[in-house]
Amino acid sequence: MATSPSSFEPDTTFVATDTYEVGEQMSMWQDAWRRLRRNRLALVGMAIVTILILTAIISAFWTPYPVWIQSLGPTYQGPTAKHLFGLDDSGRDILSRLMGGAQVSMIVGVGTATLSSIIGIVLGLLAGFYRGWVDAVVSLLINIFYGLPDLLIVLLIVAVTQQRGLQNIILAISLTAWLGMARLVRGQTLSLREREFVEAARSVGTRDVHLLIRHIFPNALGPIIVQATFVIPAAILFEAFLSYLGFGVKPPTPSWGAMASEGYRSLQFAPHIILIPAAALCLTLMAFNFMGDGLRDALDPRMRR
Amino acid sequence: MVHKGETVGIVGESGCGKSVTALSVLRLIPDPGKIVGGHIFFKDREVTRMSAEELREFRGNDVAMIFQDPMTSLNPVLRIGFQIKEAMVAHERFDNNAAEERVVPMLKKVRIPAPKDRAKNYPHQFSGGMRQRAMIAMGLSNEPGLLIADEPTTALDVTVQAQIIELLRDLNREMGTAVVLITHNLAVVASLCTRVIVMYAGRIVEQGPTRQIFYNPQHPYTWSLLQSIPRIDSTQHDKLLTISGLPPDLSNPPPGCLFHPRCRFRVDRCSKQEPPLEEVGPGQDARCWVLMKNALAGAESTS
Amino acid sequence: MTRGTLIYIGQRLLLITLTALIVSSIVFIGVHQLPGNAFLSERSPNPSAEQVLVHHYGLDRPWPVQYVSWLTGVLHGDLGESLVNRGVKITPLVLREARVSATLGFWAMVFTITLGMSLGILAAVKQNTLLDYVASFCAVIGYSMPSFVTATFLVLLTVTGFFAWSGGLVYENIGWGKPEQIPVPAISLGLLPSAIIFRLTRASMLEVIRQDYVRTAWAKGLRSRIVIIRHALRNALIPVITILGPITTGVITGSIVIEYIFGIPGLGKEFINSIANRDYNVVIGVFTFYAILVGIANLLVDLVYPILDPRIRY
Repeated sequence: MATSPSSFEPDTTFVATDTYEVGEQMSMWQDAWRRLRRNRLALVGMAIVTILILTAIISAFWTPYPVWIQSLGPTYQGPTAKHLFGLDDSGRDILSRLMGGAQVSMIVGVGTATLSSIIGIVLGLLAGFYRGWVDAVVSLLINIFYGLPDLLIVLLIVAVTQQRGLQNIILAISLTAWLGMARLVRGQTLSLREREFVEAARSVGTRDVHLLIRHIFPNALGPIIVQATFVIPAAILFEAFLSYLGFGVKPPTPSWGAMASEGYRSLQFAPHIILIPAAALCLTLMAFNFMGDGLRDALDPRMRR
Repeated sequence: MVHKGETVGIVGESGCGKSVTALSVLRLIPDPGKIVGGHIFFKDREVTRMSAEELREFRGNDVAMIFQDPMTSLNPVLRIGFQIKEAMVAHERFDNNAAEERVVPMLKKVRIPAPKDRAKNYPHQFSGGMRQRAMIAMGLSNEPGLLIADEPTTALDVTVQAQIIELLRDLNREMGTAVVLITHNLAVVASLCTRVIVMYAGRIVEQGPTRQIFYNPQHPYTWSLLQSIPRIDSTQHDKLLTISGLPPDLSNPPPGCLFHPRCRFRVDRCSKQEPPLEEVGPGQDARCWVLMKNALAGAESTS
Repeated sequence: MTRGTLIYIGQRLLLITLTALIVSSIVFIGVHQLPGNAFLSERSPNPSAEQVLVHHYGLDRPWPVQYVSWLTGVLHGDLGESLVNRGVKITPLVLREARVSATLGFWAMVFTITLGMSLGILAAVKQNTLLDYVASFCAVIGYSMPSFVTATFLVLLTVTGFFAWSGGLVYENIGWGKPEQIPVPAISLGLLPSAIIFRLTRASMLEVIRQDYVRTAWAKGLRSRIVIIRHALRNALIPVITILGPITTGVITGSIVIEYIFGIPGLGKEFINSIANRDYNVVIGVFTFYAILVGIANLLVDLVYPILDPRIRY
């Protein structure tokens, strides 16, 4: 059946030399960005968020009508050509107030996320890295306050101190929000500091601060970004609750929560007053949630190829 | 094909399709995989045509299967004794009390010490070897005709491996249950199985009685596998033989024989036409155009 | 109930008590640093009448003294007396209103868990079918809807004729006391948490279904229902139970707004009112109660763990 074999050396034409396709080298961020781009819901979310930010910025300079002017027309009037979203119970233009509310929401959201993240990251890094009494104090704080109902605490702070400015609200919410970030960062730091690259860096005499900032922090950045992204809608929600209950920003500064609260009374005959800010609020929260989900999936190390 | 009370080993590299074949017998292939053609028979019944209820009765009863990693294959929140009892009660061969009474004897049969207490334990309280024994007990509790063991020793260390293989051998003799042992470890096959099936890239490339396969392999792949086993009496200068290259990508397979790119003995025909599985000796089949007996004869004559 | 468990419970109860005390002390001290007092509100300042009141409540004493007296009171279960409604003792008030809030919270949780878990399991078992996509989409909307929006929406539905035959009935009857007044507030409160539970249950089930031990269960020839419930679900529930603690806290917090909207005489409404009225005694009392409640809820959740997962033992 057989003649002499053609050769005794294997021929590699059909054997894959590598079971993985050799692709270009990609950093974690590029890889994440690629994956994020493919997530359509996240893209929609990001688009809405961009619109929101733009609206917020624009409203600082211009709104169709000034937000505080009353009696622009018959009160409770529905959407018309002149007033695209209608008028509220005091005759104020809803569209303009909606834009102003966007500004408030954005400032509170981003401000809280920034402030609470900074506090949380710093304390988390210190606690996780140095252990000792720093960790004892931070962990104690986290354990005591983490389970407490944050809305109550924020309400208390805002109402009792009688300060209703934006900064105070941001501060109050941040005081409860930093706990989550600190917990996360502390956990990340604790596990990262056991890794070999830390040992290696230490052995060449790297200073602690340098180690924290340039080695540990960047490696924890993924979960940190995700956490921060989810703080924004939580803060916006808080602010909405606060203003709904009457403890939010001082009128006439518009806030979606306050607008919804005012609109509840006229629900039966002028539903647009409450429905429009409510819809804006829901849309905003949805957008941030989509974005956060997308970021989380994109940055998840388990799914990295 | 597995005869009654036989022990058959299925050998091959990772990814050659041995596990998939076994899972197919019980129709346990997860979506999106599915059985596209062919037949699976068990004692005259066509498994591929069974209804859902028939299949359920079939599994764990006529054919049982145990898996590679006993740590993850047992439900961590249920007691071991309960999981064994469950297997019996599900098929209504034993009622609750009868099943309960069979648990401890089963554990004793698989040589778990202090079986009465151990039955009340949870999986995390068992060692790896014990867990695998518990799985064997679970599989054999309904006295199936066939037990498929998918790499049962891969996750265990060597001394425990030997115990498990010995256990399977004894149980096969005692209970008459046929055993199909899937592994990539030739030594294990040699110590347990009377017949061997060698698989490559999803095909059976050789099968036959163990002694014949080991002493007189006909397919170049089998031959190379056996050649590559390090020998205890080899000197430092002998090279460790390997089969260069990697298994083919089945979405873009080579033409002809699937092994030919890596084969030292191929001829022209090998790259054009895939050989059929043909008898090459008493009870031994191989899928090759050349066959080792010819290749080695040819090599001798050219050298 | 092993000795370890009892010790654990003891430790947690201690922690709860300490937390409640610390936190309410902070609030107490903080409040007492503020200028003015509850009587400086709209009432016409009548110096002598005010003096009498101030003395009655012991507000003329230095605050550390007040603190000690308050603390001793609390340790005896006496949360003091309302500043605004003279003569009204806070502890009985709180307990009475807590029952109302508890009813609301209970039904909200029933809704949350039932809807969230059952849909989550179904969606996981029928992954990628229409049911799955629809449910998942609704869930995303659900956890983007603040409770007051849900409440508004529900009220609108019942008002504008979706339930026309009972429309007027529900809307006019917004309040508390009758059983038919429970569903709308309870659902408003429970919808957002149910979306969270749905997501988590679904994700957890999906992961568990792929586990080896579930494959073993199928290989044993067990019935579908047994495999899904006894094998998959029991393991999948573990992370869901974890989140029940924060969810309960969220429901407790959310009840504040819901009670406010629907005029339900519970703790939340009391909290808001007393803040607005500057009735600080009540504020502190309610807050302390909440702190203890949350602590106990979390403890109960943690105690359920060993039942589900025998690997965890205290």
